[in-house]
Amino acid sequence: MKHISIFIAAFLFSILFFEKNIGLNLTIFSIVTTVLLVGYNSKKFKDKTIILHALVYIFTALLVFIQHSSLSIITNCITFFTLVGVVSEQRTSIYVHWLNGIYTTVAGYFHRTFESNTDAKKVNWKKDIDVLHVAKLIGIPLVFILVFIMLYKNGNPMFNNLVSRIDFSFINFQWLLFTVLGYYLFNNISKPVQVDPATSTDLKTQSTLFKSGTFSEEKLKKEKQLGTVLLGFLNLLIVVYIITDIIYVITGETISASAFSSQVHSGINTLIASIIIAIMIILYFFRGNLNFYAENRALKNLSFLWIFLNVMLIVLIAIKNQNYITAFGLTYKRIGVHIYILLTFIGLITTWIKVLKVKNLAFLFRRNTQIAFIVLLVCSTINWDYTITKYNLNVAKSFDIGYLINLTNRNAILLNKKKDDINISSADKHRIETKYSKHMMALAERDWQEWNYEMFENETKFNSTE
Amino acid sequence: MNIPANLAKSCLLATVIFWVIISSKSIDPDIILFMFLSIIPIFIVSTIVILSTICSVFWLAENADFNKKQVFKTYYPYYVIIVFGICVFAIISSGFDLYIIAFFSSVFITTNQSWVWFAKETQK
Repeated sequence: MKHISIFIAAFLFSILFFEKNIGLNLTIFSIVTTVLLVGYNSKKFKDKTIILHALVYIFTALLVFIQHSSLSIITNCITFFTLVGVVSEQRTSIYVHWLNGIYTTVAGYFHRTFESNTDAKKVNWKKDIDVLHVAKLIGIPLVFILVFIMLYKNGNPMFNNLVSRIDFSFINFQWLLFTVLGYYLFNNISKPVQVDPATSTDLKTQSTLFKSGTFSEEKLKKEKQLGTVLLGFLNLLIVVYIITDIIYVITGETISASAFSSQVHSGINTLIASIIIAIMIILYFFRGNLNFYAENRALKNLSFLWIFLNVMLIVLIAIKNQNYITAFGLTYKRIGVHIYILLTFIGLITTWIKVLKVKNLAFLFRRNTQIAFIVLLVCSTINWDYTITKYNLNVAKSFDIGYLINLTNRNAILLNKKKDDINISSADKHRIETKYSKHMMALAERDWQEWNYEMFENETKFNSTE
Repeated sequence: MNIPANLAKSCLLATVIFWVIISSKSIDPDIILFMFLSIIPIFIVSTIVILSTICSVFWLAENADFNKKQVFKTYYPYYVIIVFGICVFAIISSGFDLYIIAFFSSVFITTNQSWVWFAKETQK
């Protein structure tokens, strides 16, 4: 039964993906994968965490169909590894889920071959030999017969004529090999495996800090003094920087795009260095027993102030980036800056929780990775090409039409619709029309496996206008 | 470690996988001689890869307290993920060239099976 369901899934895999682009096929594949995982691990799918991960995976599969962006495909792949990893062991950190998920997908079969030889050798050794013997009985004669048929073909014209009449052209061997690949993939994920030392170590690692045996008050006092002085001066410095930056933002004049760009980028570089150093300093001082030292109040308050001031720095950079976007339009890089700012803000918040609730480094890694994964999920729900185009054409004071034309075809309809309402050259209008017609031609040539929601919608509109 | 037996089996496996993938597109009877001759370079490549990347791990990590099974469980997952990454990168970079797919698929499967054969020696 196990092999039959994997065979069916492998057959579907070839139908969906052989010589096809990504589209509806990835959505169907995700559903088949989930059904297979539920079938083989039904007991584990009673756990709410696993059910939630399965639902998220299906959701990302729908996003691939609806958005059809590279980001949604990447998110779907990462969610696939997460789901397989969660089925393998649901109590570990998300990065161990990924490790287990990738390992299972890539080498689950070989791992189980090794395990089964170790554990079940005594029980099934005779059966294994029988299978091997049957394989030899079929495989070896087959290979030699094929080799000798090819050799004899050159030796005797009548034999050659006879063999030539045998026509296997109806069999696509590449398609068959692709099905074998599908079988290997589904066989791997049917029973997820674990990367043993990493999984067990992660399960043993707690997120809370504990007081160690050696507790020297004298040493802690010196460390606290150093921390207080250092953070005190750093706070003073950042306050001066923020004041000057606020004055600059308020009294800022309109400058050229390149100067604005360089300012935002240098601001971001400052932010990167500042936040990394801030988190490292806090992690250094609150790495151990200083968390449990009775007189650490001042140091803790200075750390909180340091985090707060860094948050202010983030807000200032976000304002600058937003001004830049309003003046010169939305681009992927500018959206990336906003996302980076958001992640940095979250990083500072988790550092604040770490100090407040006496957590360790594992806590920071676990929470920040989880949040980054959620941010990725949220980002993949948006059709960025369409959003960028719509914003630039409707809101931005100025924009680069060449950039919009060079985006993927997901904005082709909108650009074509708006081309007469905006002030662009006739050459650019021609480029938009070419992009639109190419997009429509591509729509007509797509197989059902490559379909996505936008194409379906476009085709409906296109047919209605025809 | 039974290195000669492992190398012989690996070479045979790699040859079969390589030519099965190449033959999936079209098979020319004149190429049969090359199939047999290809065993020599495939054996050289298999030997270099297995000795330098798999045997070296066992030689360095295996000792009285750390048997072959533990070496396999500790290092094999990372090895296979890295090899998979390299193979996929090479195949994509080549624009899915059939010969590159055949070469790297045989490298991936053979090195994996070679690990299992070495680790299974524990039970003997």
